Amino acid sequence: MNPIKRLLNLSEKYFTGSGKFNALAPLFDATKTFFFFPSPKTQYVPFVRDSLDLKRFMSFVLISLLPVLIFGIYNTGFQAGIARGESYSFFQTFLLGSRYVLPIIIVSYAVGFFWEIVFASIRKHKISEGFLVTGLLFPLTLPATIPLWQVAIGISFGVVIGKEVFGGTGRNFLNPALTGRAFLFFSYPVSMSGDVWVAAGSAAVDGFSGATALSILAPEGEKITTALSNSGFTLSNLFFGLVPGSIGETSALCCIIGAVFLIITKIANFRIIIGGITGLIVTSIIFYLIPGGSDSWMNAGPLFHLCAGGFLFGIFFMATDPVSAPGTNPGRWIFGFLIGFLTVTIRVVNPAFVEGTMLAILFMNVFAPLLDHIVLKYNASKRIPNV
Amino acid sequence: MENIKILKGFKTPLTGMPDLSVIQIPDPDTVAVSAMDIPYIRPKLLVKENDYVKTGTPLFSDKRNNSIFYVSPGTGIVKQIVFGERRRLQEVVIALDKNVDKNINNNQAEKDDFIQFETLSQDSIDTTPKTKIIKLLQQGGLWQCFRQFPSKDTADENHEPPMIIVSLNGNDPFSPHPKVVLENEVPAFEFGIKILKQFSNRIIVASRQSSLDMLNGFNDHITHIVPDFYPSWDPAVILYHLKRSPKDNRSWCISAEHLILVAKFLLTGRYPVKRVITITRSNDKKPHIIARQGTPVKNLVGSLDENSIITTGRFNGRSVELKSHMGFFENTLNIINDNQEEELFGFIQPGLSKPTVSRTFLSCLTRTPKNLDCNIHGEERACINCGYCTNICPVNLAPSFIYKALSSDDIEDALSYGLLDCSRCGLCSYACPSKIELTQLLSLGMDDHYKDKA
Repeated sequence: MNPIKRLLNLSEKYFTGSGKFNALAPLFDATKTFFFFPSPKTQYVPFVRDSLDLKRFMSFVLISLLPVLIFGIYNTGFQAGIARGESYSFFQTFLLGSRYVLPIIIVSYAVGFFWEIVFASIRKHKISEGFLVTGLLFPLTLPATIPLWQVAIGISFGVVIGKEVFGGTGRNFLNPALTGRAFLFFSYPVSMSGDVWVAAGSAAVDGFSGATALSILAPEGEKITTALSNSGFTLSNLFFGLVPGSIGETSALCCIIGAVFLIITKIANFRIIIGGITGLIVTSIIFYLIPGGSDSWMNAGPLFHLCAGGFLFGIFFMATDPVSAPGTNPGRWIFGFLIGFLTVTIRVVNPAFVEGTMLAILFMNVFAPLLDHIVLKYNASKRIPNV
Repeated sequence: MENIKILKGFKTPLTGMPDLSVIQIPDPDTVAVSAMDIPYIRPKLLVKENDYVKTGTPLFSDKRNNSIFYVSPGTGIVKQIVFGERRRLQEVVIALDKNVDKNINNNQAEKDDFIQFETLSQDSIDTTPKTKIIKLLQQGGLWQCFRQFPSKDTADENHEPPMIIVSLNGNDPFSPHPKVVLENEVPAFEFGIKILKQFSNRIIVASRQSSLDMLNGFNDHITHIVPDFYPSWDPAVILYHLKRSPKDNRSWCISAEHLILVAKFLLTGRYPVKRVITITRSNDKKPHIIARQGTPVKNLVGSLDENSIITTGRFNGRSVELKSHMGFFENTLNIINDNQEEELFGFIQPGLSKPTVSRTFLSCLTRTPKNLDCNIHGEERACINCGYCTNICPVNLAPSFIYKALSSDDIEDALSYGLLDCSRCGLCSYACPSKIELTQLLSLGMDDHYKDKA
C-alpha cells in the first residue's frame, strides 16, 4: 500500500467519530482528498458522472497563475535592484524577489486556511477548493512592500466578511480576494498607494520614484504618452512588465498567457474577458476623442489603458471568478463590458483613485445578480409558457 | 423530412455499443410485471399468490384510473408478489407454465393458453370509434404505451393531443436500434400510424441522422430528423423544439416499439410478449436480444463483477439488481463498472482516457470512444455558477437557477424558467463539477408540482 495512504488510514481514527481531534475533521478530509481523489459510487440518476470536479477546476486557475507569479517574483527583485542602483544576476534577482513575495503568499495561505478550517469545523462542512485561488490571487494584487500583518488582516477580511459570513464558496457575491484588497486599500492607504510599489528598502538611490504608470501626469504642454515614455513606461515595457506595480499585475504578456490557458480549457468564460477588453477599448477611445486633457490619462488611448495598471490581471483572473460573475451568457457580456467602461472612467474622471479595476470589478460584482435576474426574466418571457 | 436543429447534448463517443445482430433467448422460469418503472402509479392488486393467470390476465390496475390494467406477459402461477418499503408494490412474479410455452413455440397455442381479445382489421380501423380503440387497449394492458406531457404520465383518454411524437430510440444512447425493432414490421407500423391518426392530426416520427439509411421501408413516415447525440431523440426534447403554443405542452408520445405492440395487439387480439433488449458494457459489443417481457435481469446479463451496477438507462433509468425483472417500459441494461481506485493526486492527472464534456482533460482532444464508470469523480460542493449545466441542457434550461429557485420554494419562478420543459435526460447532473444532484432535484420539483395539481 502507498505509504501516504497507510499514514492517512492510521491517523483517520483520531479525526473521525469520537476521536481526539474530531473538530479538525475537515482538515483531515482536505488533506486526504488532496492526496487521494475521492470517487464514491453514484446513488441517483444519472449513474455516470463527468470526470471534472471542483478540485481540478480550481487547480487549473492556479496553473494559469504560475506565469504571473514567477514573473512577479522576478520583477520584484528586478525593481528592487534598479532602486538600489545595483545590478544583480538573474538568479540573485529571483532570490531577492522571493524574499519579498514568498512570505506574503505564505501568510496569505496560512491565515486564510486558518479561517477556512475554523468555519468548516463549526459548520461541519468540507473545506472548499475555492480558497486555493483566493489565497494566491490576493497576494498578487499587493505591493511587495506591504507589511505582513496587513496581509494577514486583509486576507482575514476577504475570507470572513467577503465569503464565509455568506455561507462560504459559492454563496459570496463579492470576489473575496478583491474584498480583502479593497479593505487594505481604504484602511491603510499609506501602504497601498503612492511610492510603495518597489521594494527598495533603505538602500534606495536618490531621486528614485516607486510610482506606477497610472499616477503619471504630464507637465504643461506635454502629451501623456510622451510623459509616460520619459518615465520609463514605454508601451513595450508595460507589455512585458518590467515596471513597478502590484506583484502580479505588471506583465500584460504573462497575464495573456494565463488567460489563453483559461479560455482554452474553458475554466474562465471568454465572454467576460472579450466584453471587458471591448468595454475598455471603446471607452478609452471615446475619452481620447473628447477634446482637451492631453496631459492626463484621458488621452492615453486604448493600448496604454490595456497594458498599464491591473486591468488585464483583473479581467482575466478576478472578473472571471464564476461565483461572483453572472451565470448567464448575455449577463456575462454586459458584466465584462461595464467593468472595462468603469475602469477607464474611474482612472480618467475620478482624481481620487489612480487605478479603477478593483473598484470596477467589485462594483459590477454587486450588480451581477441583477444582470442575471434581467436575463432570466427576458429568457422566460421568450419561452412558450409551460405551467 | 425536416431537420430539427438541436445544438446541445452529450457528444462524447462511448464504448459498448451493441451489435446489430439479433439472438433470441429461451423463455425464463419466471417473468414479472414491475411497478417500479411506471411513473406516478398507485397500484391496486387484482391477483393473489398462487392464482393461475394467462397471458393477458390483468395483474394490477391503477387506482387513479381503474380501467387501466397491467397484464401478465405469460401463462402460469403467480409465484410471488414483492413489496418494498412502506408496502409499495415492486413486482408481481409469475412462474411460467412450461407446457404452454412449448405449445406456443410450436405455434400450437390453444385457446386456453392466452386471453383472446377482440380484433380490428386494416380496413375497419378508420371507421372504428375512438372510444372502442381506447377500451380495447386499456383491457389489453397497452393503453399505458401512450404518455402525456409534461409529466409523461399515462395519457388522459379524454384529452385530444395536439401532436403525438413517435420516438424511434429509447432512453439510453444504446437503446435497441430502430432497424432491429422495426425489422419486418412495416405493416404493423403503418397500421399503428393509422391508429394514431384517430387521436391526433399531427403525427411526428423523428429519426436519428445515422439510422436514416437503415430504415428504408419507413422513409415515408419519418417526418423529422434529429442529430445523432443523446438525447436529441427524446420526445420531450423534440416537443420543446417543435412546439409553437402553450397548447402543445399537452402532447402525447409513444415509442415505436410500443406502437408496434399496440398494432399487433389490435390485429391479432393477443397480448404481444416479445421485446427487443440491448445489454451494454464498456469495451464489449453484445448482440440485440429478443426476450419475453419481464425476463429476469440475471437471464439477460449472466454473471458480473460484484461492484458493477446495472441500470436501465445510464442517464435516467433505474438501478436494478440481478434478481429483479425487466419493466414494461425498459429495453436496455447497462452494466457499469465501479472504478474503486482512489488515484494519487487524481485532480491534476492529464487524463488521456477520462470521459469529460469539459476541456480540462487531454482526452477532449481525441474522438476515441470512452468508458464511463459509476463513480462520482469528486465530492459535492456548493454551486459556483460555472454554467456547465446550462451549456449542455438540450431544452435550453438554466438548471442551476431552477434548482436555486426550487430550494427556496419559489415554484413560480422555477416554472417560469421552464421547469416543466425538462426532459429528465440527466445531463445537468452529469456535467456538474460541483456534483450537485440537479436532475434529481428538478425531477422531484416536477413531480411535486404534478401531484399538487392532480
